[in-house]
Amino acid sequence: MPNLKETIEEKHDAVREDFEKGGKFEKLYPLFEAQDTFFLTPPDVSEGKTHVRDAVDLKRVMFTVVIALLPCLIWGIFNAGSQYYAYSGIETNAVAKMFRGMLIVMPIVMTSYIVGGLWEVGFAIVRKHEINEGFLVTGLLFPLTLPPTISLWQVAIGISFGVVVGKEVFGGTGFNILNPALTARAYLFFAHAKDMTGDVWAKAKDGATGATPLGMGAAMGGQGEDVVQGLAHEGFTFGSMLFGLEPGSIGETSLIACALGAAILIVSGVGSWRIMAGGLAGLFAAGMLMNIMPTQGSDELGKMVQLTTWTQIPFQYHLVMGSFAFGIVFMATDPVSAAQTNTGKWIYGALIGVVTVLVRVTNPGFPEGVMLAILFMNVMAPMIDHYVVKAHIRKRTETLRNFSYAKG
Amino acid sequence: MSSEILIKQGLDLPMEGAPGDSIREVRPQSTISVFPSEYSKLKFKLQVSEGDTVSRGGALAIRKDLPDFALRSPVAGIIKSIVLGERRSLQEIVIEPNGSEDSERFDVYTVEGLLGLSRDEVLNGLIRSGLLALIRQRPFNRIADPSLKPKSIFVNGMKSAPFRPDPAVLVRGKEAELQAGLNALTRLSDGPVHLNLAKDQAPGPLTSAKNVQSNYFEGPHPAGNTSTHIHHLDPILPGDTVWTLRISDVLRIGEFLLNGVYPQEQITMLAGSGVKEEMRGYVRSISGTPLSEIFDGALEEGEQRIIRGDALSGEAVTLESGLFLYDQGFVVLNEDRERELLGWYAPTTEIYSAHKVVPSNWIKDKLFKFTTSSRGSHRALVLTGIYDKYVPLNIMVDPLSRACIAKDAEEAIALGILETEPEDFALCTFVCPSKTDFGAMVAETLEQIEQEGF
Repeated sequence: MPNLKETIEEKHDAVREDFEKGGKFEKLYPLFEAQDTFFLTPPDVSEGKTHVRDAVDLKRVMFTVVIALLPCLIWGIFNAGSQYYAYSGIETNAVAKMFRGMLIVMPIVMTSYIVGGLWEVGFAIVRKHEINEGFLVTGLLFPLTLPPTISLWQVAIGISFGVVVGKEVFGGTGFNILNPALTARAYLFFAHAKDMTGDVWAKAKDGATGATPLGMGAAMGGQGEDVVQGLAHEGFTFGSMLFGLEPGSIGETSLIACALGAAILIVSGVGSWRIMAGGLAGLFAAGMLMNIMPTQGSDELGKMVQLTTWTQIPFQYHLVMGSFAFGIVFMATDPVSAAQTNTGKWIYGALIGVVTVLVRVTNPGFPEGVMLAILFMNVMAPMIDHYVVKAHIRKRTETLRNFSYAKG
Repeated sequence: MSSEILIKQGLDLPMEGAPGDSIREVRPQSTISVFPSEYSKLKFKLQVSEGDTVSRGGALAIRKDLPDFALRSPVAGIIKSIVLGERRSLQEIVIEPNGSEDSERFDVYTVEGLLGLSRDEVLNGLIRSGLLALIRQRPFNRIADPSLKPKSIFVNGMKSAPFRPDPAVLVRGKEAELQAGLNALTRLSDGPVHLNLAKDQAPGPLTSAKNVQSNYFEGPHPAGNTSTHIHHLDPILPGDTVWTLRISDVLRIGEFLLNGVYPQEQITMLAGSGVKEEMRGYVRSISGTPLSEIFDGALEEGEQRIIRGDALSGEAVTLESGLFLYDQGFVVLNEDRERELLGWYAPTTEIYSAHKVVPSNWIKDKLFKFTTSSRGSHRALVLTGIYDKYVPLNIMVDPLSRACIAKDAEEAIALGILETEPEDFALCTFVCPSKTDFGAMVAETLEQIEQEGF
């Protein structure tokens, strides 16, 4: 394609005037800018005193996150197809599962991108700023946190809530307090709870429960059963949950896919390894602490009673069950809503791990805790940063003072 | 006493166009100029008018706030024109050399004799000659205030930024001038004079300098920035003053004190891929020579940006300007408005990136052709925690930049802004995917603090 570049450049230059100030489509400039800079790098030269600039721009950063999400998306598609056939009771091959999965998942992703994209463009036009590439990520993250059986109209209102209330009311990208994709999910979680949790595949076939391992485990634990054995009886072993061919939200079931994404984010330097490592440490520590809780206790009359065995789930199971891996890799690392200082990132990540386990194990209402943990820590992140910076300033002043004493 | 300091944070840009170490002569063809506009914060009172004859070292203008301080002519000649700018501020005094040997005489000293002078004697010489302008003062990096006594003096003998002149080239054959300049500096402060050199500096006049504390820095840029030196040797506390110079400034002061005539020679580096390869190197000429003569035949074809200073923290200039007293080098880069198809995600190996997400980052030992392209458009600041890797000071860049955006001077001071200069954040600007200008942000806040006082 020797002339493709010139053709595009010519076509764009021919209409550029119409979109610039004073042109007839002046208001639609953000749309034009988005398309123009999508195909061709901008012709801008550096301003100010730093005359050379790095090859990386925000488009590349955001697109790297999209690439890191691909393993989860592809596995999610396959898993959705598998679950569909499993609960329909039809034996079939992998290609058919993949194809069926596409039919289930792609409309959800498309709805999220189209509806969310419209809001994004709308706000860009009204506010007269460029369309922000961050939406490439939000638009894909959100559908991956949904059960495959969700209705498209729910996807549409979910992403609308996420973009408008989660991001734009705060002033747009870079100013939001909560992760927009997670805000969207939380909205659906509370407003449409019965479609979001538990028996997601039940409608596919009568009699099938379709419960996620996490939901099942919580139920068993509440009845004092041995959770690991109970899960294994249902077909959920540590190994099977590692692969994630199981009911759950589209993108979160496979630890391996999440780990691939984490590797891409860490190697490229786009996602914070501190948050991920802190999260793992917090999750394991809290999981172990739960393990040493007693399973029997005495009631007020001194009679021994059976307590929940849900606390006894081995700590490593917390990593493979539910959405923790997906959440800590893709949601918690959103740099805008996370802690911004490096020390703060460790604390922020670790507390997400701890709160996740606390909600999962000690709260009988919600089987999964990672979404609430991340949203809660999103709110807390500025406070963590505040104290980290305060400690830094105190140490800094001390070092400086000692320096002058040492010199006499 | 000497110390060795290892710098871990920072980045050496693998930039094509490093200068060779040869020095060529450029004699001024027509006129030379003195630029009062170089000192943007000082006000001058003109002492000459068009048509007057001046001798070398003759006073052209005096400072309104310090009348002893005169801007002096580097050559004997006739005042050809005086250019005034906005509000009749003095911009440029153009002198046509008349070939006369007429020269103003100042006191002459020996290298050793300088050690016996008092602070006032040295200062008076520097003020009268106008060479005090070569001594900078921190915080705020302004021209030294002679009424303040610095707690220590820092001489920068390094070249880590792309590109700054190699101090070893500048001092070649100038041992006496170097030592004389350093000896004079020792009279100005009760504290030490720090001479800061690269750890791999080959033995020579720099490493054998006496009466100073030699410190050796190792590591990537900004290991050669003066802020880095001050931070690790004698950090600035509230109320402190330190003075800073570069090797070229010390040499100029030394030459003046040894000879007693106003120094006219100036060595300037020309570097960058916009300069023809055979012309990359050093130019020996006279202060105030028009840049059109300095760059005569040196520029590559095409639109070029001439940068006064280095590529990370310099000022774009045109050939209409001339050699400022404070100039020691220029970097020329291609003004690059080329658009690339899907360039924002092309896995390029031709455009350098400090981020591992671009394959060009994986290639070791390759030099890249840097241009002035902004490599993307400006966006809201999103990524955090990546900038501290490029600042070898005890400074948290993210909170500091937020304090700057919020115009919270108090917080910025607590976070250490007074220890820094905009140039210390140039690498942050370079690596920022949102194309944020950290240096400009810091400059604005420093300006605010300087005006409001603290």
